[in-house]
Amino acid sequence: MDTIVSIRDVVKEYSLGKVVVPALRGVNLEVKKGEFISIAGPSGSGKTTLLNLIGCVDTATRGLVSVTGQDTAQLSESALTRLRLNTIGFIFQSFNLVSVLTVYQNVEFPLLLQRKLNGAQRKERVTQLLTQVGLLDHAKHRPNELSGGQRQRVAIARALVADPQIVLADEPTANLDSATGAAIIDLMKELNHTKGTTFIFSTHDHRVMQHAQSVVRLADGLISGRETAAQAVAHSLGVEQAKAS
Amino acid sequence: MTGFLSELALLFHIARRNLFTTFINFIIGLIILVGTCGQVAGSSLLSTLTSSMSKSVIGSAAGHLQVYNDASEDELAIYGQMGGQDPSLEPITDFPEVKKQLAADPNVKNIVPQGIGGGLITSGNTVDITLAKLRDLYRARDEKTPSTEGKRLTAEGYAEQIASVKEHIRQIVKVIHADAAKADALRDAKTVDPSEQEHLVTAASDAFWADFDKHPYDSLEFLENYIAPQAGDADMLYLRYLGTDLEAFQKAFDRMYLKEGQMVPTGKRGLLLPTYYYEENLKLKCARKLDKIKEQLANSRRTIATDEELKRWLKENQQQTREIVLQLDGIKTKTATTALQGFLKSDEKDLNGLLAKFFDMNDQNFHERYDFFYAQIVPLLELYRVRVGDTMTFKAYTKGGSVQAVNVRVYGTFEFKGLEQSPLAGAMALMDLMSFRDLYGYMSKDKLNEIQALKAAAPSKGLNRETAEDELFGQGGSVVNESVTSTIDEKQELSGTTAKKRGATLDENTYSQADFEAGVVLNVAVLLKNEHDLEATQARLSKMSTPNTHFRVVTWQKAAGVLGDFVYYARVGLSSAMSIIFVIAMIVISVAMIMATIARTATIGTMRAIGAQRTFIISMVLAETSALALFFGSLGAAIGSALILFIGNKGIPATTPEQYFFFAGPRFLPVLEPMHVISAFFIILAISALSTVLPAIIATRVSPLRAMQTDE
Ligand SMILES: Nc1ncnc2c1ncn2[C@@H]1O[C@H](COP(=O)(O)OP(=O)(O)OP(=O)(O)O)[C@@H](O)[C@H]1O
Ligand SMILES: [Mg+2]
Repeated sequence: MDTIVSIRDVVKEYSLGKVVVPALRGVNLEVKKGEFISIAGPSGSGKTTLLNLIGCVDTATRGLVSVTGQDTAQLSESALTRLRLNTIGFIFQSFNLVSVLTVYQNVEFPLLLQRKLNGAQRKERVTQLLTQVGLLDHAKHRPNELSGGQRQRVAIARALVADPQIVLADEPTANLDSATGAAIIDLMKELNHTKGTTFIFSTHDHRVMQHAQSVVRLADGLISGRETAAQAVAHSLGVEQAKAS
Repeated sequence: MTGFLSELALLFHIARRNLFTTFINFIIGLIILVGTCGQVAGSSLLSTLTSSMSKSVIGSAAGHLQVYNDASEDELAIYGQMGGQDPSLEPITDFPEVKKQLAADPNVKNIVPQGIGGGLITSGNTVDITLAKLRDLYRARDEKTPSTEGKRLTAEGYAEQIASVKEHIRQIVKVIHADAAKADALRDAKTVDPSEQEHLVTAASDAFWADFDKHPYDSLEFLENYIAPQAGDADMLYLRYLGTDLEAFQKAFDRMYLKEGQMVPTGKRGLLLPTYYYEENLKLKCARKLDKIKEQLANSRRTIATDEELKRWLKENQQQTREIVLQLDGIKTKTATTALQGFLKSDEKDLNGLLAKFFDMNDQNFHERYDFFYAQIVPLLELYRVRVGDTMTFKAYTKGGSVQAVNVRVYGTFEFKGLEQSPLAGAMALMDLMSFRDLYGYMSKDKLNEIQALKAAAPSKGLNRETAEDELFGQGGSVVNESVTSTIDEKQELSGTTAKKRGATLDENTYSQADFEAGVVLNVAVLLKNEHDLEATQARLSKMSTPNTHFRVVTWQKAAGVLGDFVYYARVGLSSAMSIIFVIAMIVISVAMIMATIARTATIGTMRAIGAQRTFIISMVLAETSALALFFGSLGAAIGSALILFIGNKGIPATTPEQYFFFAGPRFLPVLEPMHVISAFFIILAISALSTVLPAIIATRVSPLRAMQTDE
């Protein structure tokens, strides 16, 4: 399988005044096309930081971040923006829908930015995506008229409408109850199956983790291991039990 | 392309949705609305004001272009300079040649020679008139000729009339004496001339009146010389005059028409008074005030009960009954007293008291009293201080600084059609050019020689501005004063009694076309066939000037001097007011948009993360202010336009003389032009675009990382 994301010896440091906070301290990671992987780790371990680097919304302090074969450090600001628009889809923890736009308009938004499809083609595509997430009859609604789960499904439709190669999701279920969260992960998994889109999502919820093909474990800015979902669940359950006892 | 259009549609959709979501947008909208409304209304008011002013200025004096000597020290200012004095102009000495040159231009319709100046008029005060009447009665009695009024009386008739007029004069002397005593109490004792006081005491004494008939002419002379001057100051009035070829003027300024009297006959010296000035300054003051109150009650919603100004006018009438009482002799005083007693059902004996009671008017009785006043009181009075047919004495500074006095006969009153109420158009009297030249001080060689000879014969005090001023203002009554000055100098030659006599003979003089053409003019009004070609014609005419004519051509607006400046300052005032509003609008819009941007960083960050370029974000901010400007700007422009159309339909009635002045008529009717709306619109769009710069910069700085931060 082709490598779609390649991270090598990546260091990310935030400087807070004179203090330098290391968020990632030499991370190496390869993600293959069509993978459905989860990044797990305790709070402050660097999950979000890693996803931001892959998503080209931030740049590494040192090391190589390559997305679809392009070294992101070499790209201009507008080239990075184009890369985000055409190659990457984002699903956010707080859904991040544009509140003044309808469900339909929110989903159509990336297509308008792409300027590739005409009105009829856009309509077909948006309708298709809304059907897939089961919200076609809510097309004219505003985000604030929807439940959290519905909002996140709109966000998924938006992330996938431009047919990206990679979808990044930072704790997509954190703001949802567990049943709804599970449904969202199911939906993502289904889309991963049908379209072969690469999914990278972060979570510290082991019930979410178990749906992943593999789990990358982050601790203190370093990758401590890459496990199968079952191993990961066992691992985190073990941690929980250890804590409990 | 379709993508671009849909993106644009999306931008405007977002903008439109955002428009009403925040209260601050409403504030911005309100400012934009007020700004556009103000700009539309202000610019149309101003342009209407300019055009009504231009109507007044062009139609009543200036014409479209004015031509004057390029060597002039000052710029031409038809309505006077800032301080009120007239500009110093070098005269045009060869008007026929200038006229010939100007007439060559195809767009020139009329050429009118002019000369403008201002002088004081002494219209003969009540004392003068009454004394003249008494002298006339004595003369008629002694010489057995009919009096000036054409009456021949019996001996008893004369005795009765003389007694009545004498009683009238005695009453006047009493009033002056009382006034002088009051004034002296207020003044520094040193400044009081003791001889004036003595004369008054003499004139008020019973002995003086007991002996009056023993030597009536000496007694009259005493009163004329020492008492009349003490009552005189109030009767000096300033009047601007335009000396011109009256026939050419009437032809060129075709709005002009005669209200009363007749045109000055060709080749005669004479004066036409503007009706507005005539009513305002020469009419009996209390009658004028009653007229004005009546007009206000009819034309505006003002009432005496609620309006302070109308109340003040009535109060002034109550306090200024003297001008009526002074005019009435014994017989007429009795008539007026009886009439007022009957009308007011009062047994008050004093006429002053009765008049004060009479003028204490209110909304209920005003009209009845107004009619009574004109029917019963006015016939006993001289309603105007100068009547058509009278001769007026003008006193003015000549160019050399001396004082010149000229007597001119009033042939009639005039006004300009459509400008009847414009104080601007009604402020200048029209005068024949020859009289103007005398006042201006232009001298022929002969006259200069004559003065040189006089100077050589008697040692002269020399001339300076101060003594001339004394002559003008120091002794208001000096025209009728048989002066005691014994030295002969040109000052005396040109003013005072001597000048009056010379003026009197001048009045009868006719002049020839040759005299007329030989003299100077100060400026030349040019009226055009096509007034829209103003600047081009001005340029063409300017080029015609030769070293020998050496003239300068200016537009009416420039020639209007202070008034032209007024238009200029009004424009500056409006644009600075608008600039302030727009600067405030700009700051508020900027700040508000910055706040809106900051509030929306999460959304902007999300859009950037999803793949929106910085240009898209800029467009979004721009679209929002544009939508704001378009929406509220249109609303403001519509309100402003509606306001102007509404006012234009009804008109704002002018209620004060100042308003007549600015409105150039009784009503102000602003006109809306599409240009006013379009320009206001563009200004507001530009302002909005400018105020977007800062928020747009801030918006582009929002990092896509902001999308990842959860709002804790
Ligand atoms: N903008 C920033 N400035 C300074 N330090 C930061 C910044 N963002 C993250 N960090 C630090 O970097 C480290 C990694 O943070 P990161 O947000 O990647 O962790 P995380 O695994 O996503 O945690 P969580 O589960 O709480 O979301 C933390 O110590 C954090 O304090
Ligand atoms: Mg995180």
